[in-house]
Amino acid sequence: MYKYLKDIALLLLLPGLVALGYALYNGPASWAVDGNTFWGTPISLFVFWIGLAHAGTLLSAIFLVLDIKLDKRTAMLAELSTLCSLAVAVVFPLMHLGVLERFYMVLPLADARMNIANIRSPLVWDFCCIVIYGVLSLLFFGTHLAAGRFPGLSKIRKPLGWLLFPLVLWVHTVVSLDFAATFVPEWRGAFFPVYFIVGAIYSGLALVGCILWFEGYRMRLLEQLVKIGSWLLCAIWLWNFMVSGNFCTSAFIFAGLLPQLLLVSAIKNSRVGRLLIYVSILFGLLLERLFLVSPGLGDSVPFGLVDLGLLAFGMSVFILGFCGIRWYLGTAIEGESTFFGEVDDSDMVQVSERMPGEANAAAADDPEYVEPWRSYETRTLRFPMFVGVSLTVLFCIWCSAQLAYDNVELSLVQMAPILYPMSALIAALIVVGKAFHSEVVPELGSFSKKTRVIWSAVIIAACIVLAGLLGAFFGGGSSKANDARVHSAPAEQISNPRLIWNSRCSSCHGVDGKFNEKFVREYYPVPQKLDSARLDSIGVDSLVQVILNGRTNMNAYEGRLSKAEARGLVHYMQKLAGEAK
Amino acid sequence: MDRRDFIKSCSLVMVAGLLFGCRKTVLDGLGAGEGNLRGPSLKAFEEEVRLAMSQARGRLDLVRVNAPGKMKSAGLLEGSNCNNRFGMAIDLDACDGCGKCILACNMENNVPLVNEDEAARGRFMHWIEMRGGVPFMCAHCGDAPCEKVCPTGAANHTPDGISAMMYKRCTGTRFCGANCPAKARKFNFLDAQKLGLARKFNKDVPLREKGVMEKCSLCLHRLQNDRLRFKTESLGEWRGRGVKTACSEGCPKNAIVFGNWLDSESPLVKATSGRQLYAPRELAELDPSVVFIMGKR
Repeated sequence: MYKYLKDIALLLLLPGLVALGYALYNGPASWAVDGNTFWGTPISLFVFWIGLAHAGTLLSAIFLVLDIKLDKRTAMLAELSTLCSLAVAVVFPLMHLGVLERFYMVLPLADARMNIANIRSPLVWDFCCIVIYGVLSLLFFGTHLAAGRFPGLSKIRKPLGWLLFPLVLWVHTVVSLDFAATFVPEWRGAFFPVYFIVGAIYSGLALVGCILWFEGYRMRLLEQLVKIGSWLLCAIWLWNFMVSGNFCTSAFIFAGLLPQLLLVSAIKNSRVGRLLIYVSILFGLLLERLFLVSPGLGDSVPFGLVDLGLLAFGMSVFILGFCGIRWYLGTAIEGESTFFGEVDDSDMVQVSERMPGEANAAAADDPEYVEPWRSYETRTLRFPMFVGVSLTVLFCIWCSAQLAYDNVELSLVQMAPILYPMSALIAALIVVGKAFHSEVVPELGSFSKKTRVIWSAVIIAACIVLAGLLGAFFGGGSSKANDARVHSAPAEQISNPRLIWNSRCSSCHGVDGKFNEKFVREYYPVPQKLDSARLDSIGVDSLVQVILNGRTNMNAYEGRLSKAEARGLVHYMQKLAGEAK
Repeated sequence: MDRRDFIKSCSLVMVAGLLFGCRKTVLDGLGAGEGNLRGPSLKAFEEEVRLAMSQARGRLDLVRVNAPGKMKSAGLLEGSNCNNRFGMAIDLDACDGCGKCILACNMENNVPLVNEDEAARGRFMHWIEMRGGVPFMCAHCGDAPCEKVCPTGAANHTPDGISAMMYKRCTGTRFCGANCPAKARKFNFLDAQKLGLARKFNKDVPLREKGVMEKCSLCLHRLQNDRLRFKTESLGEWRGRGVKTACSEGCPKNAIVFGNWLDSESPLVKATSGRQLYAPRELAELDPSVVFIMGKR
């Protein structure tokens, strides 16, 4: 079955790449943009794919922490679908940017002029949360995969599941707040987080259903969950219609009404019927996202070829990535256990493997009294979480003392979106790090001490290098704090070259002439550094001419500075150059 | 064909291709660099303004507002006592909707033309547009929603009450455009410089690149030049007296009054005293600095 799917994906990839390339070259004008919201197809597709990305892990993590038995194959497929759709989802907000190469400015890192991302904006935290979600999903999937070789690793799956479960809800809430926090009337509403989460889980269940269909088996529980999802979403849609009058009929038909056919056992038990229903749900939810992101689009601007191409791009990349990894991992994903679900068209009873989590639960039920702080749960989850939360709180307090945040009303409320994801990230790293302790996972612990030391040293060194690179990249370095501003100048000193330098020149050249690198490096050619030999070789008169008439990126100051003042400035520059030596 | 001929013809084709790539194109000639005054003729700009006015849709639903005072967020702005808050008042009794302010603004701020495709969609770059026969531009809200959602901080507030744009920091997420209730922001969908649609009328204002947002800046460069003059000549506290925006200068009826809301000597305060102020309904709660005046006392 996967073979045909791959062929279709390859067929879609070419138009998809063409559309993506054209959209990147031509900018946001190339797809249908609603005049009211300035967004359009990429953001709809982002919401669609990030929704799909949430359900897989959620299904796997939630079932794990709630002790619902799920066989390894289903769980791993769901987790893999999460990773693949996350990778697809990340492409769309990036390509949607007007100036792609400046995407890093969304990161909350200050540059040398203390320009910082606006932490009041939901987008900043959206970006951070999604990155953290991607890392944790990868850890979760990797642990599950590695548990095939090191069975002890499955012990840390449950703590990771507990960390991931709220994170999924958290991240999708932040994504929904991108919309709900705005003034666009169709998007305003406190119900948005719930709405987005329900929509995401529902679409993800349909995707997992599709994948299981291609694997050749079914899960009755999933079908029931899909039904429940459709009812929940229908309820929200109808409520929204009654409150605000917004309604997407096509989405309601495809994702609301058609799935009810699952109630008909003839359709539910037919292979084709199930696939059609899952596809119809995905299609309906896609339409719904398009409608949601650009409410007024349908009437004014037609859905163009580029939009269809982007749609094809997402689908083909997902299918190729998923099938590729599935094929590469092969039996490692499948595991030996029987299916939780049943093989198609047979009424096999559900059988289960004994979950490793169960063994832990049994251990915890031991009647022997253990102090709470020594219990198994404390060691595996509560302690890492405690460390994560405390570090995050310390980080927030540190942030509030930073100069960069002086201009925003910084409070815990503004940092709130990052609180949980950051704690979860730290906790997850601790959980995984602890796995290397021999007591937790004996197989990993059995590596020789030397190997472990070397690996930790390599990882720590890599972190330091990464931090150093980030620092070098964003550090830039303003030459001096600009306290000596001209507004404190007494009236008689107007011709003082130092004051003119500080008021007119220092914004680029720096108070001490070593120019403001972070700002100036946006120009090409970069201005010369002050250097006595060079200044002398150019000569005073030419420098005066440069100041008055300007040169490449230097502004002309004629009319704003007199010739005598310019001459004074040149002498001041010579003095600065001398001092610099 | 033997091997030698084959290689020879291949390299000839390659050289020809390279030379073709190096030819001087029409686009090169139009590329408007710093100080390039070439570009579309003035007539093209005038025609586009006429076209935009004929296509103008939308109405302003005006409600009464109070006179803008000190900004609420003033204390947060770095090192400033915020003695100034610039704004405008548009006298709807005097305005006859001639659209001269639009052209004046376009020439002052180097607002580029758009191509036919964009014009057909009604996406002009004009910072001022006609809404129901009334010139409408960014209101420089004291509590501006666009600035709150800008992820990079490119949309920000100056201590003088101007909602400003840092073009070099704009990544073009267009979140601000989505969040402006009045849709006063314009997005550079086209590379106007490359397409030869931009013309640098005024060297004080940079040409904007493709992919960044822009909007009315209250002629920030004029204010800055005046402030610098005050600084260099040490003329005392700067209140921006005597500065006018391009639109208010270009208005034949003097219907647009620019000034400082916090300066009792400002023409703005004098023109609005004793008159009822109005603002579009969707902006009324956001403390706008640009308001409309209608009816005598």
